[in-house]
Amino acid sequence: MAEEENQFEECEQIDFLKDRHVRFFQRTLQVLPERYASLETTRLTILFFALSGLDVLDALDVVDSDVLIEWIYSQQVLPTQDKSNLNRCGFRGSSHIGIPYSTKGPGVLHPYDSGHVAMTYTGLCSLLILGDDLSRVNKEAVLAGLKVLQLEDGSFYAVPEGSENDIRFIYCAASICYMLDDWSGMDIQKAIEYIRGSLSYDNAFGQGAGKECHGGWTYCAIASLCLMGRLEEALSQRELNRIRRWCIMRQQSGFQGRPNKPVDTCYSFWVGATLELLDAFQFTNFEKNRSFILSTQDRLVGGFAKWPDSHPDPLHAYLGLCGLSLIGEPDLRKVHPALNITQRAFQHLQQLQQTWRGNGGSCIGQQDDLQH
Amino acid sequence: KEREKKLQIYVAARDACFTKRKDGVFDDEALQLTQQLLSSNPDFATLWNYRREILLHLETVRNQDEVQKIYEAELSFLESCLKVNPKSYGSWHHRGWVSARLPRPDWARELSLCDRCLSLDDRNFHCWDYRRMVVKMSGVPVKQELDFTDRLIGSNFSNYSSWHYRSTLLPLLHPQAPDTPSQCGNPPPSASPQTHFHRVCEEQLLKEYELVQNAFFTDPNDQSAWFYYRWLLGRAERDEMISCVYVSREEERVAVAFSRPVNAQSVGVEWQSVHPHFKNSPVWICSLPPGTISDVANEHNLTVHWTEKHSHRDCALYTGRSESWCRDTATDLELFRSELSVEKTSVLQSELQSVRQLQELEPLNKWCLLTIILLMRALDPLGYEKETLAHFQTLKDVDSMRSAYYSDLCSKFMIENTILKMEYAEVRVFSISDRKLTTLCHLDQLLLVTHINLSSNQLQQLPPQFAMLQCLEVRIGTLFFLLFFINLNSEISTLADLQPLASCPKLKRLDLRGNPITQTTNAEAELAGLLPSVTDLLL
Repeated sequence: MAEEENQFEECEQIDFLKDRHVRFFQRTLQVLPERYASLETTRLTILFFALSGLDVLDALDVVDSDVLIEWIYSQQVLPTQDKSNLNRCGFRGSSHIGIPYSTKGPGVLHPYDSGHVAMTYTGLCSLLILGDDLSRVNKEAVLAGLKVLQLEDGSFYAVPEGSENDIRFIYCAASICYMLDDWSGMDIQKAIEYIRGSLSYDNAFGQGAGKECHGGWTYCAIASLCLMGRLEEALSQRELNRIRRWCIMRQQSGFQGRPNKPVDTCYSFWVGATLELLDAFQFTNFEKNRSFILSTQDRLVGGFAKWPDSHPDPLHAYLGLCGLSLIGEPDLRKVHPALNITQRAFQHLQQLQQTWRGNGGSCIGQQDDLQH
Repeated sequence: KEREKKLQIYVAARDACFTKRKDGVFDDEALQLTQQLLSSNPDFATLWNYRREILLHLETVRNQDEVQKIYEAELSFLESCLKVNPKSYGSWHHRGWVSARLPRPDWARELSLCDRCLSLDDRNFHCWDYRRMVVKMSGVPVKQELDFTDRLIGSNFSNYSSWHYRSTLLPLLHPQAPDTPSQCGNPPPSASPQTHFHRVCEEQLLKEYELVQNAFFTDPNDQSAWFYYRWLLGRAERDEMISCVYVSREEERVAVAFSRPVNAQSVGVEWQSVHPHFKNSPVWICSLPPGTISDVANEHNLTVHWTEKHSHRDCALYTGRSESWCRDTATDLELFRSELSVEKTSVLQSELQSVRQLQELEPLNKWCLLTIILLMRALDPLGYEKETLAHFQTLKDVDSMRSAYYSDLCSKFMIENTILKMEYAEVRVFSISDRKLTTLCHLDQLLLVTHINLSSNQLQQLPPQFAMLQCLEVRIGTLFFLLFFINLNSEISTLADLQPLASCPKLKRLDLRGNPITQTTNAEAELAGLLPSVTDLLL
């Protein structure tokens, strides 16, 4: 946009403090304050925020990739000798259950150890970001562990023991299948039906049928459909237009997650990326979006918070960066809107997939909806 | 130091829990331990699972009264958890589980909990979801819940979640009768609130209009009522169909336009999408074997079958004719009016009148303007064209943050109007100039167009969908009707901008005067390379 230069001049006083953010993520990787103890079970997601954040900042050189790769693989729930736990495989959030550290199989049978769909998703993303070739991922096991999580109605549990089930975990599942280039881990048709059933009267997506719609769930729905390559099959032009409209109306300065709620940094990505996937992001106001995100920047500690004058946290720090990346902030890497990793990491994935398929034929099928 | 101590206690308790669970111990101490941990960390999902296992075990060794007491205590415990964190997935999920297992559930108590929780935060979707579950499990009548939303909305119109809930309740209580017998049968496999099975009967609709009008007259700036209103006014999706079939003897091919993008599988004959880029496209081409229809002395009857929808379209190619087509008109189909439309025009008119009244009081209210535009389009898109354009201008001033979006929306409506006008005039000429078009759309409706004029607009590039204009050409030697993109706002500047034209096989004449691309060196040679079929190039 030609007007951008003038706008950036005007906004010069809200400058982007790149170094602080790098250090924020570095600290995240080292030690987290006590109030984060409740996130122990989801530690792998925090790792993902930090790594992908550093990737967007083009600052991955500050991490010790090898050490982190090993740690991630140590969270893989591997099949036991007799493969009796195949349905419980995937990646776990951290070692909080007390499984002894190991990065190789065979797995140890433990009645309460299992993968968690969001950890598997962020685990795979993190490995890609660190440049790993996924050769130590037991794909058969991961997909088996994924398949059992899907319910009759098409939604997913997070863990085999059961949990709440909704559209978030469909997104995790679709991402996993997409990355592993193998859709045997889920019934796409059922997932699409669940997604369609979650379309609410005001043209966005709820967590499930009858539930109020929300920017986060809308992202999960649209991104999943894009990854599956079924966006235009699942939704009519009219529905797509209405969804675009709902999303565009979420911008107040930054973006809100639901009507009449305050704007929150993370929705600059959830709603922004949705609009990007629907080819309508250019209709948003970049200047106001940027101003809001930067107003939540913590000038001392780095990172971003959900609101101005609030404490920053890894999730908002990461998604704030992604929001800025979408509007083309200089010095930030571009983010793949559906997979939520940088385009650089995505290209690494594409190369890997070409090797898996043999003689790099063109990537057919599912990838057509993603022309970004 | 105190925090360190707390942390130590936490870790000790956690490890004790896991050891117990691993050993398969399900006793009161385990309940105690998990309770301690979950109070400070209700998102520890594994602990809730363990707790459920303990409770299930206790069910087998205690009598029903004791179990009732245990679960009631559980509910109290959960209440205290929810007080601390009313948005914890783990807590709500567990409460749902407990309520389902309680020997003598007290659903009234659960509803009252929801009432209290919602009074503190009426947007807490966890609570709303829980309420929906309670209502379902206990068989609370839909009417009672509808009255509940009445109360909430009555006391505060800005209650988005209540309106949402209402949208799910209303169709249950007052469903719309299916339009035709064929629709009475199987509901579509993936019904959403937009399909007619979730819509409301007309009598109730009229009452709802009154309610909603009260809301947006009271607070025109709150969007809740406007969104709800739009839903009320909406109409179900039209049926999917083949909208146009075109046959050309000379090219020996058939072009088909569908009402939505499809992925055609070749059966018997080979189908190709208009553009290699598109796996899903509304327009597909079939090249017939050479000689099949080339003899102009023969008449041919072609039928295109859309097996998935059990529908088909016939097209007769008569003797002496070089081409033929079969097309439903956009007017007959109410293609563009069906965005917002309800049974009777009189209802729409009365609604338009009401909203216009409000607009006089609140001239800068964007929701008003948007709604008026939509109602006008539903009633008479061509008749209200001028007013619509004026309202769009106001809208862009009033909500300037979204002016790019409104320009796009306006472009779309102007294109729709042009398509409608074409049907009264000449269905093969599409002319829309000086309308500040920022985008092109509905190109799948332009399969038959031979002449196109898009001069004096604000188009920056041609979309790849341009390839859908399979008939685009100029009749050499006859009329001077020209097909051009003259863009006085000088936007077309690179070869890439014109790429889509390469897929229009019959394009012979192109006028690019006034576009910056003419200034580039070697423009003529490069354009000749890109568009070899163009014999008449004006730079």
